[in-house]
Amino acid sequence: MKADIELSLVHDGEFWIGSNNSMEVKGSTISELDEELKRSLRKTGDYASGACVNVFMGFDFDTIPTWLRQYHTHYFNRTISVHL
Amino acid sequence: MLATEDWWAVWVGLILFAAGLLSIWGIDAVGWMAKTKTWEWSKFWDDPSFNVFLKASHGKAGKAYEGWSGFASLMMTFAVFGGITTIGAYFQGLNVKKYMLGFTCIFFITFAAWMAGHEAHFKAAKTSQSVLQSEIYGSNVYCMTKVNKCTRKINKALKKMGVDVLGGDVPTKEQAAAAVKKTKKAIRLSWGLQLGGGFSYILSLLVGLFIGNFMKPFARFMMEAAKPEWFIKTAIVYLGVKLGHMSISSTAKVGGGGDLMLDLALSGAAAAFVAYLIFWPIVYTLGRKAFNLRRDASAVLASGISICGVSAAIATAGAIRARPILPIAVSMLIVVFAMVELVVLPAAYTAIAPNQPIVNAAAMGMTVKTDGADAAAGAILDELMVAKHYTDTGELWEEDWILAGAVLTKIWIDVFIGVWAFVLALIWVYKVERNPGESHVAVSEIWFRFPKFVIGYFVAWLTYVAIVIWFPESAKAADSGAKVVQSPMRKMMFMLTFVAIGVITDFSKLKGMGRLAALYAIALFAIIAPIAYIVSYIFHRGLVPPVVSG
Repeated sequence: MKADIELSLVHDGEFWIGSNNSMEVKGSTISELDEELKRSLRKTGDYASGACVNVFMGFDFDTIPTWLRQYHTHYFNRTISVHL
Repeated sequence: MLATEDWWAVWVGLILFAAGLLSIWGIDAVGWMAKTKTWEWSKFWDDPSFNVFLKASHGKAGKAYEGWSGFASLMMTFAVFGGITTIGAYFQGLNVKKYMLGFTCIFFITFAAWMAGHEAHFKAAKTSQSVLQSEIYGSNVYCMTKVNKCTRKINKALKKMGVDVLGGDVPTKEQAAAAVKKTKKAIRLSWGLQLGGGFSYILSLLVGLFIGNFMKPFARFMMEAAKPEWFIKTAIVYLGVKLGHMSISSTAKVGGGGDLMLDLALSGAAAAFVAYLIFWPIVYTLGRKAFNLRRDASAVLASGISICGVSAAIATAGAIRARPILPIAVSMLIVVFAMVELVVLPAAYTAIAPNQPIVNAAAMGMTVKTDGADAAAGAILDELMVAKHYTDTGELWEEDWILAGAVLTKIWIDVFIGVWAFVLALIWVYKVERNPGESHVAVSEIWFRFPKFVIGYFVAWLTYVAIVIWFPESAKAADSGAKVVQSPMRKMMFMLTFVAIGVITDFSKLKGMGRLAALYAIALFAIIAPIAYIVSYIFHRGLVPPVVSG
C-alpha cells in the first residue's frame, strides 16, 4: 500500500508525536494521535471530505538510548488509513 | 546494511574469515594475530620479555610472521581490529573519536586480563599421568599446553628410556620423574586452580565490573566503545567457522552413530520452542495477577525475561506499541540480571550436574538473557566443565562443544523473536488495542527484527563445510587460516565482550525498580531457570562432547 503521507514517530515521555516538514500531531495514546491526525488533515483542506488517506509512521530509532541500540535496531512502523 | 552493529558483526566476521581462507592459495593474511601463551610466574623473572605472554598465530603459510615478537603481533592485532571496528563505528553513527579512545582502553585492558589469566597456577591442568597415576608421577605435574600433548610427550620420553607405557609397561618413580623433566611443556607446581581459559574470562569480567561500578567516570569515557553485543555477535560468526570444523570432525559422533552437531542443532531448536511456549504465558500471568502490572508492562517483561532479553523486550514493546520508556526500564533490569546469571550459573551447573555438559549448556542458552551474557556464560561453563571432568576422571572432553550448545540454543531463540513479535503485533493491533484505521501489520516487521549476525554465522559454518566436502585437497590449507579465526580471534572477541559487558553493567540502576525487579528475580530463579533445566534435560540428556584421543 503506497503511503500518501510519511511521518516520523517519536515519544517524548508524555506524548506520541508524528511529524514531517509540513505537519506535527501529538497524542497521549496512539488512538489519540490518530484522531489528532484526522483533525489535522481535515484542517489542511488538501483532501476532499470522504477521502481515504494512507499515512505511514516510522518510529525514529535514534531516540532510543545509544547503549540500547546494539541489542535491537527496530521499534515499529505502522500504516494507517484515515477516512476524512 | 552499514548502519547497524548487527550487520557489522557480519562484515567484521566474514572479512576476516575470508582473509583466513586465503591460506588455500598459500597466503597467510591472519598469521599476525596475537595469541596468548601459558606462562609461569617464577620462570618469567628468569627471562622477562613480552614474548613470554604472546606470540603470532601464523600457520604453515605464514613464514613471514615467524620472526614477529609478541609485542609486534599485539600492535598489529590492535591496528587491524581497531581500524575495522572504527570504520564500523563511523557508519553506525557513533562518535568516532570517543569510540577510538574507548576501544583502545578496552583492547589493552582485555589483553592485560587475558595474559594475566594465562599464568600457569590459574590456567594449567595436570597431565593425565598426574591425575591417574599420581603415586608414580606425583600429583603436581601440570601442562603448559594442551594436556593430551604433554601426556604424549611424557610417554614418548619414557619410550626412549625403554619403557613402553602404551604397551603396558609401568615406569618406576625415578623414570617417571626423568621423563617429566625431559618434557619441555610439563612443569611441577606447588598449587594450581586448573581453570583453563576460564580464569581469563572471569578475570576480565571482574575488571569490567569493577570499572563499571567503582570507576564510573572511566566507564563513561569508554562507553562509546563498550559494545558487548557487537563483539559477541562477531565472535559468534567466528564460532560458525569452529562449528564447521566440528561438524566434519571424525570424532563428532555419539553412541548410536548420530551426529552430535545435528543433535545439538535440532534438539536446541525444539527445546527453545517448547521453553518459549511455557515461559511466556506463565510470566505474563504472574505479572498481571500477582503484581498487578499493566498489560503492556507484563507483555514486555514476559518477553524480556522468557525469550531473548533486551532484544525481545524492545521487539515486543514495538509490536504492542508500548511507550519506549517501558522497554528501556526493562532492559536495564535484563542487563543487570544477565550479569548475575553469568556469574552464578556456570559454577552452579558445574557443581550440580558435572556429568550433563550439554544439558547444562542448553539450559544456559534458555536461561541467560542477552547474547553477550549467554555466550560468555557458555564459554565459562565450557572451561569449568571440561576442567572438572578431567580432574575427576582423567578423561578430556573436546573443548567448545558446551559453548556451542549454549550458543546454538540461544540463536534459535533469537531467530524466533521476529515471528513472536509479529504474532503479538497481530494480537495487539486487531484484538487488544484495536485502532480502526490501522489496516495491517507488515510482514516485513519479521525481517526488521531478524538477527542479521545469524546470517554470518551460518555462512561461515556452511562455507567451511562446503570447502572441506567439495575441495578436500584444500581442506588442510583452509584449516591453517580458519583456525586462527576460530580460535584466537574468536577468543579475543569473547574477552572484549567480558570487559565491555562489565563496563556497561551498573548495579545501582536497580534502585527504584521495585515491583519490576521483584517480578524479574522471582520469575528468573523460580520459574525460568528450573523449567529451562527440565526442558533441556528432556531434549539433551546423555549427550557429551567427544573425548580427545591420545
